[in-house]
Amino acid sequence: MANEPHTADEIRTDGGLSDVEREEQIDYMDVEINLLKPATPFMRDHLRVIWIGFAIWALTTFAPITMTRLAPDVMTSQIPMIGFPLHYFLLAIVGPGAALVLSVWYARKRDQIDEKYGIEQSVVDPETTDSVSDDAAATDGGISE
Amino acid sequence: MIDSVPLLADSAIGAMGDMVLQTDEGLLPEGLNVSFKLVPSIIVIGMMLLFIVAGFMFKVADTDDMWVAGRSIGNIENGMAIGANWMSAATYLGVAATVAISGVYGLAYVIGWTTGYFILLIFMAAQMRRFGKYTAPDFVGDRFNSDTARALAAITTFLIGFVYALGQARGMGLVGMYILGDWSAVTGGALTAYQTMMVVFMVITVGYLSLSGMLGATKNMVLQYVILISAFLIGLVVTGWSAGYTTILPQLEYGMMIESLGTEFSAPFAGGSYYLWIATCFSLVFGTCGLPHVLVRFYTVKNERVARWSCTWGLFFISLLYLSAPAFAAIGTALYGDQIGAVYGDPGMTSAAGDVLVVLAAQLAELPAWFVGFVAAGGIAAAVATTAGLFIAASSAISHDIYATIINEDATQRQQVLVGRLSIILIGALTIVFALDPQQPIAALVGFAFSLAAIVLFPMFFLGLWWENTNRPGALAGMTTGIIVWFIPMLNEGNFGLIEGGLGIEAIATWMPAIGSALVGTPIVFAVTIAVSLVTSEPPLRTKQMVRQCHSPDPMPKDMTAADVVAEKNGNRPETPADD
Repeated sequence: MANEPHTADEIRTDGGLSDVEREEQIDYMDVEINLLKPATPFMRDHLRVIWIGFAIWALTTFAPITMTRLAPDVMTSQIPMIGFPLHYFLLAIVGPGAALVLSVWYARKRDQIDEKYGIEQSVVDPETTDSVSDDAAATDGGISE
Repeated sequence: MIDSVPLLADSAIGAMGDMVLQTDEGLLPEGLNVSFKLVPSIIVIGMMLLFIVAGFMFKVADTDDMWVAGRSIGNIENGMAIGANWMSAATYLGVAATVAISGVYGLAYVIGWTTGYFILLIFMAAQMRRFGKYTAPDFVGDRFNSDTARALAAITTFLIGFVYALGQARGMGLVGMYILGDWSAVTGGALTAYQTMMVVFMVITVGYLSLSGMLGATKNMVLQYVILISAFLIGLVVTGWSAGYTTILPQLEYGMMIESLGTEFSAPFAGGSYYLWIATCFSLVFGTCGLPHVLVRFYTVKNERVARWSCTWGLFFISLLYLSAPAFAAIGTALYGDQIGAVYGDPGMTSAAGDVLVVLAAQLAELPAWFVGFVAAGGIAAAVATTAGLFIAASSAISHDIYATIINEDATQRQQVLVGRLSIILIGALTIVFALDPQQPIAALVGFAFSLAAIVLFPMFFLGLWWENTNRPGALAGMTTGIIVWFIPMLNEGNFGLIEGGLGIEAIATWMPAIGSALVGTPIVFAVTIAVSLVTSEPPLRTKQMVRQCHSPDPMPKDMTAADVVAEKNGNRPETPADD
């Protein structure tokens, strides 16, 4: 959102332009795509989410088995109530579950970023035959809520 | 020191001893009641007819529909299609089998085959949609401006489809035997019971697929997902309940059973070393991100947002099954141990019995035949759906990427569709021939395909989308290296009888097992591609702009590709004028 409080370094050099305004002046044909050095505010926001997600993913995917290798006794102890050995639970249930939760988190984060930069995915289907009014056709922003 | 040779290979060979694999004993799962069963047969035949009818209803004649379903598929529908496409016999049958036989090592499959979708989601799904071509080799060819690269990718796609389909064919044959019984007499004894069933089901799959193409396949996949997930979940709950092990939430309750299943079931590294676990999991994760038939599902959606959410939905639908498979394995292991014999040790459970454990468990729990048949039908639906997706990807590689783009540039849509159908028949025939004598359990066969995808295609997709300076020489060098690297452990272990008995080099078997060769191979291919790209000239600006366009947040029309947008912005007409 545009009136979100700016962090210190955002106000520093851009002559008062917000992320969103700067983003509008950027033509993606001219910016280099770099995983480690995002060139635009949008890319920076997006890559931050990607890297955070990736780091958590790496932990939930590979850490349990690694810990089991390093500390087998602790990791194979039984969890009270549900009976699973700890490592089995982390591998069979937490691992896949974490990826699912992360995916939902990412998709929502990405939607929020889209919203911040006013990006709307077109849903107009030129071949549509139904007569339901098409929200995306309202170019004057007159969508009733 | 834990033995590092892949356990799957070990258990398959170990369990069968010196038996010749072609004999029925080798592929006859012990304890499975092989006989003709009326109601289950009706269920399976009805289901296959339903697929063919759905295929007919959505029969297609033009290439857009054949390959990307007119880019009209929505969120949840695509999510289900992703699920059905994904959940092959390897998931439905193979995961439970591997967890049962290899214990904690089997969980590498559970994690690898689910969490890979997250990597796909954050790094590739939406960008691929923006690139907007027809097939995975199309991406490689257009991104790297090279028909040779396109051909290499197409050959890899074909090879992946073929290796992957072997596992599916094995699953169809094994389950088919349970339902339809021993039909080997029909062939005059030339084929065994397993072989006959495998051929029957493969022929049906190929038949329906060559009629319907991708649109029919997408509609069918939703149907197939519903059938397979309900068969699996209901099968699990009912089996666990009537055997007295679990009640309504077996996915958590099986924790209480683990203690009693023998240390092999849960002891870490009893079924495979730490290294093998990591290598397998790595291969499966990055193979997921390189599989052409998975990526093509993101070409079929309206826009990037749908690509993202349908990927998430897909993972949800997939997780339902993966969280349940270990529970099925636990229940199946307990039942097998009670009624047939020791699961572990010598002789232990064979890989053939493991591969039908899901069906076997329902049978051992003394459920009615129609119900066991229903569970079995789910397995067949899974195998058919995935084979469909694979064959579509493989045939579009041949007809679109090799035939229409390289061999005959003026090919009409009619000709392309015809070549597409012929290539489906070709790959079907190849699969049938090689699946007559499968030497590995389902999950292992499929694992080889994942290694190939992770080594050869994933680096091309990833670097192609995220590093604009990747160029043609880099891609060619990388892919060639990748294909060679993938073959090394395959030859070493003698898979598919490439070299009888294999080379058996100890160090390669330990550090680069075929099933997890991507852990070594993928970084090598990355390094080669990057190094060659750095020492050769940068790709043309137009190509770089295409990459940038894939990352732009600006929405783009659903019928345009990144290349079109670039051409338009530069004031040129699209370089391939629309010919339709």
